Amino acid sequence: MTGLGRRDFLTAGAGVAAGAAVAGGAGAVLAPVAASAHQAPPGVRAAAAPFHGEHQQGILTPVQRSAAFVALDVTAASRAELADLLKTITERARFLTTGGTPPDPGLTAPPRDSGVLGPTVVPDGLTVTLSAGASLFDGRYGLASAKPARLRTMDAFPDDSLRREVCDGDLLLQVCADDRDAVTHAVREIARATRGGMGVRWRQDGFVSPPRPSGTPRNLMGFKDGTSNPDVHDAALMKRLVWAQGTGREPSWTGGGSYHVVRVIRMLVEFWDRVNLHEQENMIGRRRDSGAPLTASAEHDDPHYENDPTGDVIQLDAHIRLANPRTTASADQRMLRRAYNYDGGVDANGTLDMGLVFVAFNQDLDRQFVAVQKRLAGEPLTDYVQPFGGGYYFALPGARDSSDWLGRSMLA
Amino acid sequence: MSQRARLTALVGVLAALVVVAVIVAVAARPAAVRAAPSSEVEVSAGTDDCGHGWADDGRALGGTISFDVSNTTIAGVEVYLQAVDTTKVYLDLESIGAGAHAHARVALGSGRYRFVCLPADADPANGPTVRVGPAPPGTALTPGMVPVTRADLIPPAKAYGAWVGSRLPALRQQVVAVAADAEEGDLPAAKRDWLTARTTYETLGAAYGAFGAAGEAIDGLPGHGLTGFHAVESPLFSGAAAADVVGPAQQLIADVDTLLAQFPKAQIDPGDVGLRAHEIVEDAIRDVLAGAADAGSGTELATIDANLSGAAQALAPLHDLLASRYPELAATQQSIASTQQLVEGFRAADGTWTRLAALTTAQREHVDAALSETAELLAPVAAICDPRRTP
Repeated sequence: MTGLGRRDFLTAGAGVAAGAAVAGGAGAVLAPVAASAHQAPPGVRAAAAPFHGEHQQGILTPVQRSAAFVALDVTAASRAELADLLKTITERARFLTTGGTPPDPGLTAPPRDSGVLGPTVVPDGLTVTLSAGASLFDGRYGLASAKPARLRTMDAFPDDSLRREVCDGDLLLQVCADDRDAVTHAVREIARATRGGMGVRWRQDGFVSPPRPSGTPRNLMGFKDGTSNPDVHDAALMKRLVWAQGTGREPSWTGGGSYHVVRVIRMLVEFWDRVNLHEQENMIGRRRDSGAPLTASAEHDDPHYENDPTGDVIQLDAHIRLANPRTTASADQRMLRRAYNYDGGVDANGTLDMGLVFVAFNQDLDRQFVAVQKRLAGEPLTDYVQPFGGGYYFALPGARDSSDWLGRSMLA
Repeated sequence: MSQRARLTALVGVLAALVVVAVIVAVAARPAAVRAAPSSEVEVSAGTDDCGHGWADDGRALGGTISFDVSNTTIAGVEVYLQAVDTTKVYLDLESIGAGAHAHARVALGSGRYRFVCLPADADPANGPTVRVGPAPPGTALTPGMVPVTRADLIPPAKAYGAWVGSRLPALRQQVVAVAADAEEGDLPAAKRDWLTARTTYETLGAAYGAFGAAGEAIDGLPGHGLTGFHAVESPLFSGAAAADVVGPAQQLIADVDTLLAQFPKAQIDPGDVGLRAHEIVEDAIRDVLAGAADAGSGTELATIDANLSGAAQALAPLHDLLASRYPELAATQQSIASTQQLVEGFRAADGTWTRLAALTTAQREHVDAALSETAELLAPVAAICDPRRTP
């Protein structure tokens, strides 16, 4: 069953209990909805994700199947040129995510658009999310005092193997769409429009698998990944976990933005595939087939750690138990994950290069991602993964209307 | 009122209603590039029926119009959509085969326009004039341009060819100097003179095979076997004995002599001048910036600097043609100059250059960004200077 697409889900799911659909990862609701969606008329496509608003798109937006993470270094010569660059990115993102027919240059220039999506650009569920890295706030653009308080060069955790040339960057573009060609097209058009203003520092593409056979999509270790994600339709919860408030130590412009963590993690899949199933499941804390916690029966069941205090069933250093102990104290450490798998070919030894582009949105980088990451230090799973790239970024507040642009309040 | 008169009046009212409805529909469309037009206008493109089908009453609404142009002749045809008063062309459909259709979209503002059909072997035929009304506010109008003809391009091509020709004797002197240095065993002098000769050559616009086999012999990429400059460069910059440099240096003189002998006969095609300015920079990005044009000297940035000088030289004779056609001409010239300034920042006081591989990530990103922006700005020059027929 390869026909499941986000667009089908959205079309069919509009009247269904959409609120529950993405709760705790696309989850149990996705499969039955998808099954009925196959009766939907062909050619029905998702409406364009709204571009304007308090927050950027691509954060709470249901995860699309294909993504590119493009870290950029700004080469603009001045603060005014940086503003021009951000306006251009906004204008391109607005057009590409809304769709339309590019203007005709007549005899005076090559075509305005690569044509990869045909004569008229279709939205294809595209979202473009722009985030700023710590280095943007160095001395070059006079932004030092505007830096989000917790933003910094990505920490090197004890189990990391960071290659700094594929870490960090002044900006991050997260480009997601239902289909791969729409992602490629958007990256290409934005790069074309911004030549001279920025250069690509690193790029990692990713994909989300369809439910196999149901529930939350699987990562490349074969396990469902993202099951316990907070409910994006719970606005109060999002306010507590995702959106920066622009108060306290944070500059006021940051309100409505979010700390955007990207970690590119290689999975040593050959090694993993030589590990017994029960050992794999003990490391994760869930059944590989159903995604159920070892203490329960179905994917979305509560693991009830209180009934397993000494880790007889779900060992105390199992990944899900360390990541989310489900205690009152850990409730505000949860973050909104939006991960993608990557498959990058082979390394020099002919070993498969694949893994996870871990993505998380946080209200408070330290209270959430960093606290959890510290707790995961030394977990048994670390023998099978190598975090090597990514960065800490801050997803800018949204553009409010057609005259607004991403980063305006940051540069105000 | 007679029956005919009543009918006429009725038709008139209906037509007025339709026009109003269309105007309302067009005006209600979202601005800019959103709306796709509801239907295409079918237009004939023959010698007898050129432009027939579009606004047969001589009037059309402004804004975005889609045409389905069909060639009704038995041979290929080219079709312009031209403003009658300015002779600017807004649409150029080249090479429509006999009986074939071509689709096109154009956004027109108010004015008088007509189709012009240019059969391959016959005189152009003008279609009827259509008076077009104003476009809805916010429409991104298609820019019009008086086509550049082959005749327009002959003087710039001659001027550019003369400049290239004038540099070849200097190039020969410079490669002779390299051989002489090597014969005297003065390798530091040979390195300096080699770089002088090479950068001279790199200003000449030999991009993308413009000099044919002679260019390949002089400056073929190192990856395809060392010839010409790179055959000298490799021993010269890898610590080989002077004797090992002499042979390749003498061969380089012979290769330059071949070019000298051929060049006066090889006129620069008028269609190539605009391409040249653009492709020199594309060549620099594709080969030099990728490190594929180095055989040990680490002088990539000197080459890029020379390429940019070459692009400016190719652009210069096109100035008068471009001034009225390319609003970004000044920005293009400025981009070439500022990219050169950036690159020349990597030349030390003693004339040596930083190797490409020695640039920091940030430095490299700045060079990449500046050069690719220059290429982006030069691309329309090639499009504008594509030689077209006089309507």
